[in-house]
Order: sequence, then structure tokens, then C-alpha cells
Amino acid sequence: METEWTRLQTVSAEQPDAQATVPSNRTGMAGLLALASGLGCVLVAAVVVSLAVGAVHVSVSSIIEASMGRRALSPMDHVILFEIRLPRVLASAVVGAALACAGLLFQGLFRNPLADPYVIGSSGGAVVGACIGILLFSQVAFMGFSATALLAFSGSVLTMIVVYALARSTSGTNVVALLLAGFAVSTMLGSSTYLFELLDPNPAVGSRVLSSWLHGVIGTPTWQELSIATALFAIAALTAFPLMRRLNTLALGDEYAQQLGVRVERTRIYLILAGSLLTAVAVSLGGLIGFAGLIVPHGARMLLGPDHVRLLPVTALSGAIFLVLTDTLARTVLAPKELPVGVLMVFIGGPFFLYLLRNSKREYGL
Amino acid sequence: MTPLLEMRGVGFAYAGREVLRDVNFSLQEGSCTALIGSNGVGKTTLLRLATGSLSPASGEVLLDGLGLRRMARREIARSLALVPQRLEVPFRFTVQQIVEQGRTPYLGRLRGMLVDDRIAVERAMDLARVTSLRTRIFNELSGGERQRVKIALGLAQQPRILLLDEPTQNLDIGRQVELVDLLHLLKAQGITIFASIHDLHLVPGNFEKVLLLGPGQSIVEGTAEDVMTNECLEWAFDCPPGRYVGMRPA
Repeated sequence: METEWTRLQTVSAEQPDAQATVPSNRTGMAGLLALASGLGCVLVAAVVVSLAVGAVHVSVSSIIEASMGRRALSPMDHVILFEIRLPRVLASAVVGAALACAGLLFQGLFRNPLADPYVIGSSGGAVVGACIGILLFSQVAFMGFSATALLAFSGSVLTMIVVYALARSTSGTNVVALLLAGFAVSTMLGSSTYLFELLDPNPAVGSRVLSSWLHGVIGTPTWQELSIATALFAIAALTAFPLMRRLNTLALGDEYAQQLGVRVERTRIYLILAGSLLTAVAVSLGGLIGFAGLIVPHGARMLLGPDHVRLLPVTALSGAIFLVLTDTLARTVLAPKELPVGVLMVFIGGPFFLYLLRNSKREYGL
Repeated sequence: MTPLLEMRGVGFAYAGREVLRDVNFSLQEGSCTALIGSNGVGKTTLLRLATGSLSPASGEVLLDGLGLRRMARREIARSLALVPQRLEVPFRFTVQQIVEQGRTPYLGRLRGMLVDDRIAVERAMDLARVTSLRTRIFNELSGGERQRVKIALGLAQQPRILLLDEPTQNLDIGRQVELVDLLHLLKAQGITIFASIHDLHLVPGNFEKVLLLGPGQSIVEGTAEDVMTNECLEWAFDCPPGRYVGMRPA
């Protein structure tokens, strides 16, 4: 029996006019490309401004002309710009993009807007892993990756598994259970880092390194460290991007997504691995920086709606811009002293988190 | 003629507690069937078994003669759609974004929606009468509007059979009639309907076949007149004689 309904499979071929009446997605994609291009330009501008600002001021025009090869910088300016500031500014961009993307993935995965790597303990796990790497295996590397980076990744994954198992129930992931489990695990992990100080064979150096990690200081990485971190970020982002449509479907609930043909457990494992790798990248460059993964995805969602396919690239670029500017502020607001960007982020992100919690009360039955 | 959906000797238990035992029935293509029974008797479980979300402890569920166990999830989702009792959605998804999820079984990881997918989404929204709601936020809709959006989501899968889990629950009588009219429309489009129904007064005249799931997991099957007798309803719902007369159809 052929009905109007069963003819749908071939209607587009038979009725070219029907195609004209269907809303196209091209306008939306063009808008997204325009937005992403605009954000790319803002990111470049933020990087240039951040390079210019510091104890030694270098004008923006000098930086632009030098980068185009029209002017030679003094040897001192060259060292300051390209060997000290540029790696740090690029590192802050990678950290911001990684944290924002990790926040987006975890929020989609846990189906609530309060999840971020810091709040749910993923960052804490990465810090503990990194501490073990710094203090006990600082000279060890595997396939080009330092033990610190590998242990940060492992710590992040393990913490996610524990928090997720604690918060999960048959009806999904309860937001209260998630926050409580994340808080408890984060606190335990935070305190455990002091144990590593006691185990440290070189306490003076170890304490300083640990302190900077726990407060979130983006140092000046070597070009090799920055390259590896950027490559890992790209791997995680490219793993996550094809899963964004599935993440939209997971918003309907696990069982419904499964009925629609999504391999829920496999998708979830890939997303946890990608989110944990992003967290590890951020932690390996900047230590424990909270709330960036909360603020940026939320802002992007307010602007673009909840479609993760569109959100991922915009969130990555926005996160990079946000942290480049915040880190610039952190190193200049109390000059000549430098405020850890993690501390500044707590001042910005803490009130925002409370605002979000207050506005989510009714929706999440808090 | 091979039934579109068939259960052969299906049994199921939750953590050792038997919910369904030796369930046998079949649905022909184009039919419209109501599943009735008391609260907790296993109606939702039976629907979940029919979608393949749950695997039977014994027996087999067949879709167009093929065992669900041997079919890929995407393949099942292209033939069969479930409209769940509740759909909780985080974030501010619009109605169109929700309905577009129904195309998931047809999309690859990197393949976006093509013209055919968009036509299917438009047609599903049109049939379920939610086109005018396309830009509204799903979480801000009324119960009746949400129910129609859930049906549109199922229709976007272009299913041959639509399973509905208590679609009239919490709806006022006006919205209930609206929903039953929609089911008639879908049946006229050739879609097989299988719905668990809580409101018994909606069954006669609207569903050509009734499955009554009674205590002891036994099924009574027939027309509304055959199944909805005093004896059957007293037995199935444990309701004292005469107390439900006002609820019965005239």
C-alpha cells in the first residue's frame, strides 16, 4: 500500500519543487562560518594585544610590522616577544580552548550546565597525576610524551570514571549527586597533593612547582611542550567533533538515544576520553584553572542555542580568547607582581557559578 | 501474511522479579492496537521489549519476521519508533531541533541533514501539527504540545510502526481527543499504531484491536467489545463490580 507517507523516501527526486519549500541549513552554516571567522580575527587581535602588554611595552604596530618582516626588533624585544611572551600567550589560548571544549563535552555528557572539569573533579585528578609525574617520574617519557602528561591524562580519566559511577543512577546522572561526588573527589585529591610534597626529594623546588600548579599559573612552555599540547588538543577536538550530533541525541536520554541507533556506551567512552585528554592538556600547561569550562560554553550556548555541532568550534575559539585576555589581566593587574590566572578565574567564575546554580534551581530540582 | 511485529513466548524479569511470562501476540501492518492493563502490570516493559531496548529473558521479538536480536539498532530505528511517556530534555532545544533528532538512524557521523532528511522532518512536524511551534523551546511547551512534538520526533524516523507509551496521560479531554484524531490520521497514512492506553474510554471506536495485560502476565486479545467486558476488567484491574461503570463506554 503506497501512501503519502511511504512516498517520502523518493519525494525529493520526484518533486523538485518540494525541495524549494524545505528550510535550508545553508544560511545557518554561513552564519556559523562568519561567526567563527570573526572570532578567529578577535583571537589574533587578543594575541597581539597580549604580546604588547607587560613589564616591557612593545607597541602593537611594531609587533605587526615585525611579524610581516617590515621591521627588525631589538634583540631584547625579540627575546621578550618570541621566546617569553609568545609561547605563554599561545599556551593560554590552548588552555582556554581545551578547558572550554572539555566543559562543553562534560555538560552535554552529564546533561546539565553545571559540569566542568574543575567542578566535577577531572582537573583535580589530572593535577594529582601530574604531581606524581613531576615529583617521581620527571625524567621519564614514553613515545615522546612526558610521564607528567600521561599521568595527568590517566588521573583525569580515572577521576571521571569514579565521579560518573558515583553520580549515575538508572534515570541518568543526578546533578546533586554529580556536584557532591565531584566536590568530595576534588577535595580528597586537592589534599592528597600535600602528601606528594612530603615525598618530594627536593622539597624547595617541588613545593614551588606544586603551588604554581594548584593555583593555576600558565608558565612559559618550551616550543616542544607547546607543540605536543597543541597536537593533543587537536586529536581530542577532532575525536569529539564527529560525535557532536550524537551528543545532541544523548540529550534525549540514554534509552531514547539508543533507540535512535546511537551506541550510547561507546559514544560516552569516546567523549570521556576526549574530555579527559582536553583537561590533561590544560592542566599540563596551566595547572588547576577553574570555571573557564563553565563560563565559556554557557555563554556560547546563550548565543547559539544548544546544538553541539555549532557550539564546539565557537566554544574553542571563545575559550582561547577568554583565557588569553584573562591571563593578560592576571599578569598586569598587580604589576610588577603576577596574579595566578587560576585565582583570577575563581573571582570571575565563582560568582558566575552561583548565579548559574540559582537560575538552574527550578529546572534541576535543587 | 507475515506480521509486522510479533512476540513469541516472551518472558522478562527485573532482578529476579518476573514481569512478563510467555507473552504471545502479533500486529499486522496498518493495524491500530491498544494495550491496556493495570498500573505496574508491565505495559511499558512490553513496549521496551518491542523496541529492543530490553532483551527478553525467554522467547523472541520479531520485526517483519526478523528477530530483533539479529538486527542493528539503526535498522530497527528506521522501521520502529517509540513515543516515550516522559521526555526530559536539558538545555533550550527548540521543537525543530528535537524533531531533527529523529533522523539520527539515517545520518552518519560526518553526514549532516540532506534535503530528504529535511523533507521528512517538515512532513513529521506537519503531520503532528507542530510546524507553528518549530522555534519554541521544548521545555516551555504545554503537556499536549509536548506530546505532539514527541510524536513528530517519532514520525521523523519514518517508521512503519509507532509505539506510544500512555500518550494521553495528564492531558485534558480536549487534548486527548486531539491526540486520538492524530492517531487516526497516522493510521490513514499507513503507519501501524500500538499504544498503551490508560484512559479506557478512549479505546472503543478508536482502536480496532485490544490487548489486555492481566495479572499473572496473561494476555486477552480481541476487539474492544470482546475484551472490555465486566468480567475481564474486574479481573485485570482488581476493581469491585459496578464501581467502574461510569468509566465504561456507553
